[in-house]
Amino acid sequence: MNEPTDSRMRESSCRPGPLRSFAAILSDAWLAFRDARILWLLLAAIVVLFAVALSARVEPHTGGRRYLDLAARALSADMTGIDLSKDSLADVAGRLDGSLSMITVAAPVPDTAADGPGTTWNATLSRNVVPVVGSLATADEIASRFGRIPDGRLWTVREIRETTTGLAAAVGNQTWELTVDPGPDLRILWPHRFTLFGDSLELTRPEGAPLGLEVFILQKLLSNGIGGTILLLVSVVVTAAFVPTMIRKGTVELLLVRPLPRWQLIAFTYVAAWLFVAALLGLLILATWLATGLLTAIWSPGIILALPSLLLFFALMLSVSVFTGVVTRSAVAAMLVTVAYWAVLFVVGLMHMQVVASRIREETAGRPRPVSVADALRPRPQSTRSEQTAAPRTPFHTTTVAHVVEAIYAVLPHSEDLDTMVDRQLMRDFAVGGRLRQLMESPDFTWARGMGFTLAHTAAFLVAACVIFSRRDP
Amino acid sequence: MTALEHVVSVRLLQKHYGPLRALGGVSLDVERATVFGLLGQNGAGKTTLIKILLGMLAPTSGSAHVLGRPVGSCEARREVGYLPEDHRLPEYHTGPSLLDVYGGLQGLARRERRQRAAELLDLLGLAGRDRLRIRGYSKGMKQRLGLAQALLHRPSVLFLDEPTDGVDPVGRKQIRDLLLTERARGVTIFINSHLLGEVEQLCDHVAILKKGHVALVGTVPEVVGDKSTWLVGFAGPPPSDHRWQSGRLIPSGTADLWRLTLDSADGIDRFLDEARGRGLLLRHLERERGTLEEIYLQLADAGGPSS
Repeated sequence: MNEPTDSRMRESSCRPGPLRSFAAILSDAWLAFRDARILWLLLAAIVVLFAVALSARVEPHTGGRRYLDLAARALSADMTGIDLSKDSLADVAGRLDGSLSMITVAAPVPDTAADGPGTTWNATLSRNVVPVVGSLATADEIASRFGRIPDGRLWTVREIRETTTGLAAAVGNQTWELTVDPGPDLRILWPHRFTLFGDSLELTRPEGAPLGLEVFILQKLLSNGIGGTILLLVSVVVTAAFVPTMIRKGTVELLLVRPLPRWQLIAFTYVAAWLFVAALLGLLILATWLATGLLTAIWSPGIILALPSLLLFFALMLSVSVFTGVVTRSAVAAMLVTVAYWAVLFVVGLMHMQVVASRIREETAGRPRPVSVADALRPRPQSTRSEQTAAPRTPFHTTTVAHVVEAIYAVLPHSEDLDTMVDRQLMRDFAVGGRLRQLMESPDFTWARGMGFTLAHTAAFLVAACVIFSRRDP
Repeated sequence: MTALEHVVSVRLLQKHYGPLRALGGVSLDVERATVFGLLGQNGAGKTTLIKILLGMLAPTSGSAHVLGRPVGSCEARREVGYLPEDHRLPEYHTGPSLLDVYGGLQGLARRERRQRAAELLDLLGLAGRDRLRIRGYSKGMKQRLGLAQALLHRPSVLFLDEPTDGVDPVGRKQIRDLLLTERARGVTIFINSHLLGEVEQLCDHVAILKKGHVALVGTVPEVVGDKSTWLVGFAGPPPSDHRWQSGRLIPSGTADLWRLTLDSADGIDRFLDEARGRGLLLRHLERERGTLEEIYLQLADAGGPSS
């Protein structure tokens, strides 16, 4: 019915006010949320997960001499600006300065100090210059370069004294007496044992693993990996019932009779549900940060990035759930469709990752694979199996399947990008290298695309849900 | 009377669902502070009419106003309270928490809605159950809480669909009394019920809908009509012939009582004269009234089911 404009103007002042309506819907949604038993059950599961994590012990191996040797070997090349996640050792080879360095004597300061990631060392460094190719180095050059490796700074030189004799210098043999302190990245690269339940379950290899890698895996498990997935899955199950319960016959009439616009019922319920899950995810991230911080004394804030990633992803899942709920009025349908949609995103994301990996493999073919400190720690020579067995078959990214995957990925929300961006940051923070890092660093993944696509899809589902609900006869 | 003087005013209202005509041109007026009963068989268009009046459905054509405001406008919706039939209150709520949510959506301030909720829960006999979730409520309790939510914001017009459904006789009496109190306060009450006895007891006006049209509308006595039949009992031996000048006399089925059907509504004096003329003495004379049920069933029979 067409009514005069003045009646519409009066209407605006007669509505309850969006804040009050929102507060009412928030309170309603909170009671519905609290009522779900499965939520409490799985929150308990997450608490158990954290209890297990907190039962862990992280202890450093001995390894000072090895890391001093590593630093000495690294002096052979100018590693400034080298990133082994992108650059291979071949790039390093091009920067060799024509010298070979080694540690001849090393002792902790004082002598009685334990060999650990916090120990200062006295060392004797010997450097042999290859005639013609290399040149003599100054003490300042050595002081600034010693301990720098692509993964970070292992050592900082506190004192350096050159002990080269004139004769030795003449044949290109230089020596220095050094006092070195642990650098800012030594600890996260230092091999640690990781055991659960006190000492009873050892999860690392005998030689240990870099502490950063352990923190990375732990944070992934607790937050954006298993813990986050459990929480999101439960949240999808619980919130799937919100809209169908609200708009079922016999209940929706009690809401439609109130003097507020219909779309607000859907939109406010959406925001309320999202806020509860956001609070839970916030707690999960905070708990993860605290747990890994307490275990390892590494308080790196990179894990906070997992929060926007998980929040955006849940915003998308919730919009799919609300849309399906409005269309079908069934909680089961809303839940199943959302989980199926999630599964599709997951599988397509995974295959997209394979396409990117295949492309990177082709681009870096013939070059050594990137090496991480974790690789370097392994006693056995690192396997080059994949390079050797790479038969001359069609690379995956040029196959029809890959093209189809890429076409589907192009129209789907790029939630995979968000996850990758978090992993990339954590890997940078914790100096996790290797092939996985190379993949994560691929420019195919960006925050902008991940956020943009996810938000656009979310908005589309939500607006469609509001429009359908507003126009449909109850 | 203009639309403004009537609390509810409906003109030539039509609602079509595709080829189905749920309402085929309904016109109605409801006066302030009256109880208006809407009757009709399932599918007659009662719920459609109520949903249009509440602004939940848009009519295909025609106009409808509540308190002079077009239905569906925010102001109209603010003035109405509604108790749907077969309502399902969210079970995770307690009585007070549900009223708090609905009060908020209605625009009531926190203090006002708390105070009003406590008052209504008390009035409807639900006080002291503040911590009980609705899933633990009996049907009667749910019905009372449903009524409480309809009354929460002190609406000027109440639309009640089967308000005493599932409530025990004592509770029904309480609800009827409550509705009469509301009427006395100036509230207009629109009742949709199948309990015809109750409608007759409560309502000032009734309308009977049939196949989307108003088949009958008026005050209860108007609708029920003054029938020109009487129950007659004679002191002496009964009359031998049944055909009298003033009407027809047939056995009523009750011992010693006869049903007199007068030829004209004011023919009772002529009957009395005739009886005296025949030397008969009367010991019982009672006017028979029709019931809403009779009228309703008569209408329903004429033309079969309306759906």
